[in-house]
Amino acid sequence: MKKFLITITALSMLGGIAMTAQATPQTDLKDFRAFFFKKFPGVKLQDYGNGAYALDADRRFEWEAMEEFPPYEEGVEIGEKLFTKYNVGKCFKNGGLGIKQNYPYFDQKTKQVRDLERDIMACLENNGVDVKAEGIKYGKGKMAAISAFMAYNSRGKKQNVVISNDPASLEAYNDGKIFFYAKRGQLNFSCADCHMYSAGMLARGNLLSPALGQTSHFPVWRRSWSKKTDAKKGKHDPLGGFGTIQKRYAGCNKQVRAKPFKLQSPTYDHLEYFHTYMSNGIMLNGPAVRH
Amino acid sequence: MKKITLLVAAAALFLGACASTPSQTHNKNDAIGAITAAEHQTARAKNVGYEWRDTGKLIKKAQEALKNGQYDEAVKLANEAKQQSTLAIQQQQQQANAGPRIN
Repeated sequence: MKKFLITITALSMLGGIAMTAQATPQTDLKDFRAFFFKKFPGVKLQDYGNGAYALDADRRFEWEAMEEFPPYEEGVEIGEKLFTKYNVGKCFKNGGLGIKQNYPYFDQKTKQVRDLERDIMACLENNGVDVKAEGIKYGKGKMAAISAFMAYNSRGKKQNVVISNDPASLEAYNDGKIFFYAKRGQLNFSCADCHMYSAGMLARGNLLSPALGQTSHFPVWRRSWSKKTDAKKGKHDPLGGFGTIQKRYAGCNKQVRAKPFKLQSPTYDHLEYFHTYMSNGIMLNGPAVRH
Repeated sequence: MKKITLLVAAAALFLGACASTPSQTHNKNDAIGAITAAEHQTARAKNVGYEWRDTGKLIKKAQEALKNGQYDEAVKLANEAKQQSTLAIQQQQQQANAGPRIN
């Protein structure tokens, strides 16, 4: 009997190790989705593109009302003007239209993950734009406006992030995966703690959105960012509410009292790579209004 | 009577002065040492990507206290910062292979 128990224990341990070793991006995606489908039965895959509004009817009603006269509309128009002014389209396939679904991607040449904002910045620099003089930086403002215009032109496209056969691509993915599940900061919270295990619950009056589908609606227009920018400038800034997903990552890190990383650092690039891959197949609908 | 009154007043002034400038447990070198230790530990936490948000602020406050000659306060703040970074490093070690808790 003792031998039998030892054998069973050993086999279960080996099984556990084997299961961990067998985890692939494909099995991760399957398990990730299964978790949310079990947690929120009845919420369909495409509904997750609406974030927290997929989970609460009253909030969704309010959000749909906001979307009738979207506050980001003027910002998207400015983004289009900047896109044309800086000749951004020439740096991208299909003139930069309808391509956001393929971001972020693993660049075989540099062995780096590249997201849309990084490619926009490289494009501006290649086109001879003095980004400092123009006041363009990652995360917000003009950069987020150009990105928002490109997102707007990719609406309806299904996210299609590829983890390539290159070991460095898988390494970047796994790095992002660990970041997503690792607790950090003085409050000891992980991305998953809020946006997986506690999704649908309230945190200081805000409904925690599910991680599945979050990447579909960035850059976002956050009313809190808009108010803050307007208050700082003493007038309305039509780009004030825009923010990229990496700006949001930094904000989340601050909220759990962890020191945020620089935007477009490998850490956040890898997180974005994993995070977006988990939402593959969900249609882009950005930019979107958020609180 | 006048002499007694003067003596009482002088004693009161002396005691009052003692009460308003409490002696410090720590000296300048203690404060400098504590701040250096906190900076070192925080650099370690930063290197592993786990620095906490407010640790740097605590170190700055400790440096201010040192400048103002408040050595006890400087040591207290620096020790708190060091403790935060020690915990941050432990956190990194515990979370190095974090994964989903799905089942």
